[in-house]
Amino acid sequence: MKEKLEALLREGREKILAAANETNLQEVKASLLGKQGSLTEIMKEMPKLDKSERPEIGRIVNEIKGRLTALIEQQREELVLKASEIPADFDVTVPGTAPSGGGLHPITQMCYDLNDAFRSLGFEIYEEEDITSELYAFDKLNFPPNHPARESMDTYWLAGHDTGATNEKLCLRPHLTGGSVRYMQTHKPPYRFVYPGRVYRNETTDARHERAFFQYEALIVDKNIDFASGKIMLQSVLSKVFGREVPVRMRIGFFPFVEPGFEIDMGCLVCGGKGCSVCKNVGWIEIMPGGTPHPNVLRAAGLNPDEFTGFYVNIGLDRLVMMRYGVDDVRLFHSADLRFLQQFK
Amino acid sequence: MKLSLNWMKDYVAFPDDLDLKQLAYDLTMSTVEVEDVRPLAESFDKLIVGVIQEVLPHPNADKLRICKTDIGGEIKEIVCGGSNLAEGMRVAVACPGAVVRWHGEGEPVVIKNAKLRGVESFGMICASSEIGLADLFPAKEEAEITDLSAFDVPAGTPLADALDLNDIILEIDNKSMTNRPDLWGHYGIAREIAALYHLPLKEIKKFDASGIPAMKVEVQDFERCPRYIGAEIENLSVKPSPWQMRNRIWKVGMRPINALVDITNYVMLATGQPTHAFDADHIKGNIVVRRAADKEELLLLNDKKLELTSDDLVIADTESAVGLAGVMGGSKDSVLPETNKVILEVANFNAAGIRRTALRYENRTEASARYEKAIDPERCDQALSMAIELFKEIYPEMEIKAFSDSYPEKLVQQEIDVPVSWLEHRLGKEFSQDTLTEVLGRLGFATEFHEDIMHVTVPTWRSTGDISIKDDIMEEVARMYGYENFDGEKITTSFTGAVNQLEIDLERKIKEYLAFRCGMQEIFTYPWMEDQYIQAVLGSTEGMLAISTPPSPTEKYIRSSLLPNLVKAVAGNLRYYSEFSVFEGARVFFDRNYTSRYDQSEQLPEQRKHIGGAFAGDYKNISSLFRQAKGVLENMARYTHMEALSFRQEEKPVWADAVVWLNIFRGDVKVGDFALLSKKAALESGIKNSAVLLFELDAELLKPFTSRTNEFTHLPEYPMMDYDLSMLVEDSVKWDEIRDVILSKKKQGSLLQSVSFVEEYKGKQVPEGKKSVTVRLVIGSLEKTLTSSEIESCAEGVTKVLRKKLGAELRSK
Repeated sequence: MKEKLEALLREGREKILAAANETNLQEVKASLLGKQGSLTEIMKEMPKLDKSERPEIGRIVNEIKGRLTALIEQQREELVLKASEIPADFDVTVPGTAPSGGGLHPITQMCYDLNDAFRSLGFEIYEEEDITSELYAFDKLNFPPNHPARESMDTYWLAGHDTGATNEKLCLRPHLTGGSVRYMQTHKPPYRFVYPGRVYRNETTDARHERAFFQYEALIVDKNIDFASGKIMLQSVLSKVFGREVPVRMRIGFFPFVEPGFEIDMGCLVCGGKGCSVCKNVGWIEIMPGGTPHPNVLRAAGLNPDEFTGFYVNIGLDRLVMMRYGVDDVRLFHSADLRFLQQFK
Repeated sequence: MKLSLNWMKDYVAFPDDLDLKQLAYDLTMSTVEVEDVRPLAESFDKLIVGVIQEVLPHPNADKLRICKTDIGGEIKEIVCGGSNLAEGMRVAVACPGAVVRWHGEGEPVVIKNAKLRGVESFGMICASSEIGLADLFPAKEEAEITDLSAFDVPAGTPLADALDLNDIILEIDNKSMTNRPDLWGHYGIAREIAALYHLPLKEIKKFDASGIPAMKVEVQDFERCPRYIGAEIENLSVKPSPWQMRNRIWKVGMRPINALVDITNYVMLATGQPTHAFDADHIKGNIVVRRAADKEELLLLNDKKLELTSDDLVIADTESAVGLAGVMGGSKDSVLPETNKVILEVANFNAAGIRRTALRYENRTEASARYEKAIDPERCDQALSMAIELFKEIYPEMEIKAFSDSYPEKLVQQEIDVPVSWLEHRLGKEFSQDTLTEVLGRLGFATEFHEDIMHVTVPTWRSTGDISIKDDIMEEVARMYGYENFDGEKITTSFTGAVNQLEIDLERKIKEYLAFRCGMQEIFTYPWMEDQYIQAVLGSTEGMLAISTPPSPTEKYIRSSLLPNLVKAVAGNLRYYSEFSVFEGARVFFDRNYTSRYDQSEQLPEQRKHIGGAFAGDYKNISSLFRQAKGVLENMARYTHMEALSFRQEEKPVWADAVVWLNIFRGDVKVGDFALLSKKAALESGIKNSAVLLFELDAELLKPFTSRTNEFTHLPEYPMMDYDLSMLVEDSVKWDEIRDVILSKKKQGSLLQSVSFVEEYKGKQVPEGKKSVTVRLVIGSLEKTLTSSEIESCAEGVTKVLRKKLGAELRSK
């Protein structure tokens, strides 16, 4: 009898743990503890026992009943926890449906990243029209009257507006800087603004040259800015945009509208400065001209250059994006080719 | 510009342990951008001098020979087709591993041992063009191999050693020194290196012309020709220049010609000062420097025939022009095979004039490129003395018959006062007088101090415009000190107000709305349009601005609408995608409304910022495509927080389909159009089977709200019921009418809360000429939970009025 009971407990436990669902478990419960269940069957043999054995066996029966009931409850909880109405072979490796596939142009993305960084430093965003006069494209920027950039082989002059005095000649802006002078003329110093926009050059295009491309100017003008302060500003902005420390170096460069002028390089992010094909093995990428606004430019804006000074940079957005992603053909930016544009989220 | 390191060593003594990388870095940081530093010998690796011992016939080929060639202790058999092979000849041998170009063309090839027509050949015997030496050893006929017999070196000598090509070539980015006329020669860069590294610079002594008879030169325009030195030199002849001169000229990218021409080029490459030699026998009378007569003709050295203008300066004799001053000599006076006396010209010309002339005739030369940077006239002395030295060296028997130096107005050296306190404030560093004197002194600047003022005298070679204000002096100090060595102060700010730019923000909100919420892809296109798309979409170029030198003849006009380029972008992308939507924000231009928006003196045409979009899809799905596109526009104002837009038909855009078009309004102001591209426009744009819906908005007419415009309403306490009704109406009945009729039942206190469109259906079960429209009513009360009969009676009211007003038959509810 005792052996039978122990065997029942052993088998009962196995059956309970093997029950795969609630219905199953109910059947197991009935087969063990129900009116026609195994335990009831065994108990029917009780009267055949010697009287002295009965209390002991009775205790064991109760214990087994308790343990089986507890096991069944335990298993029921387990089953509820694991329960699913979905067939087990449901394929969870099937890919999800993509959200609507639109996006901003990678140049716009870079521009907005820079806007956010500069705005966090209190910069305003300035914008202006694309057609300007020679006066603001060149004269106000200290370009000498015979500077090569003024020629039609470099600048897109408008038909019917390509002769005459410099205030009458109109062109698609060859750079943004003329607009910065206008900003300064119409606002009170100190200045702190960025100026994104598209500029145009009459060029033969290839993978590295475009007729329309994007610049991003930043200008601070104030009384107490020394000539290297801009480096800190630039470093912090680029580090924010790229999400890591970006080394920046300034070296000699000549641009009519700055004095002193810099070429500003940033450490190549593709190779980390070790040298690769993107940076032509130099470890640095020329990313923008910069410098202190030339006294003639400040004068053109109506400021006294002995009182005011500043820091100016003109970031080449196309080059920055190309470098960031390893894009090897600048013409892709104006291709309107979705196969290219949809790569940038 | 290419520079030879060996050449520069003539002027500055480099330390033995010179680190080339460091030199390139230092020059790049402080002076000019060094693009490349390369040992020239690299290109001549595995190329050696061989001596031909025996020339044997090739058993299988008539034109080939087998040359038993001594390559230094070893005799190798080399198969060669050279026409001039001879025993005892020194030749250039490309050993296995050397890089050559077959017949000087195509990609470089690495030489391997190979069988030629059945005979094993060790490497190859080279023609000059195959190893990049064609300019140094011009071949007289095609199959000629290079004869190096003149170079007395043992067999096996590396070619670079034999030809003295062990040099380092620096390549400078010309753009980085357009403002520095003093740097356009070896001496100029050597001077800069001497200054950077505290090294002594060799001085070029002035030529002493005393005792030489005067030569007659008539300069008529000293403004255009501030200085003219002429020297008549005799007892010369045309012969090759010495090897070193040839090889230096070649190494930095020019072609050696003959000693007379080479001397002038050599002097230019050394000093940056162009010089010219005229054949003296061809000069009639004397040299005259004058303006050209209008339409005066001149045949240039390169056989270009020019018709001159009075703005051109010419060098002439008493009969006619013999050269275009500072640009190129004429063919009449050039050095000819029989030339034996020359007039050497060392002159200074006005930069702007040279530039205009060179551009006018598209005839830019090494000389004009240098003149147009504004060379200082004092440099003529260096060039003259170097040239005379070279003539003496190459033609010991030469004689200077006559000489003149017309230089009426000496160059004035710039003098600039720099307050030291200003300099220190701007640079953020303190400098002692000694430091400033020393740093500037290295660059040739003289300094004197009077209290706070540093009086700087600029050297002649920097006095032609390069250095003219105190900020220029600041730059000199900064670059010599090293830009890298300035840390910069942190920039401080004071609060005035938060940056608040509503229009700028609105544009970004719209772009982000279109991209992220509406699933459209932003594109950029050029401002110029192709004629084909202008014609297809707009039909006319009226009122458009054009570029005078356009990117291409068919891309003259710049956009007055974003649509032609959007359509072009759609057509392009339809090759790869059948359904997509794109948008662009850019400025458009009109040849009208010229106003002075920024500056009184400036009249600018109307330029407006537009936003346009295109939705491309299958014609069969035009209804859903239309609803998708219209939904984008209808919801734009709400999501971007600007004043609401509405739609109605007032004036059909020229490019629009006859039926599917709407004008877009903000209040009463028309702000744009939205329509299906007409079939005609689509076909003319190369779009065949796709429907293209387009919109264009004038972004400047959109009005941003000053803040977000959400309103809170209490959540309903009692349930609101959605009640869908499907009805049959005539095809001609518009949704606007249905909505208005239903809303006429929505009165104060009525149970009808709102109505919305669910779907429209035509097809089976719907009779011809009719359509089924399903609407959703929201029925409910703010005061109680409605009973079903109350709901039904409300819906009943709606169906009744629809039947009465529009003849609608209820299909289901």
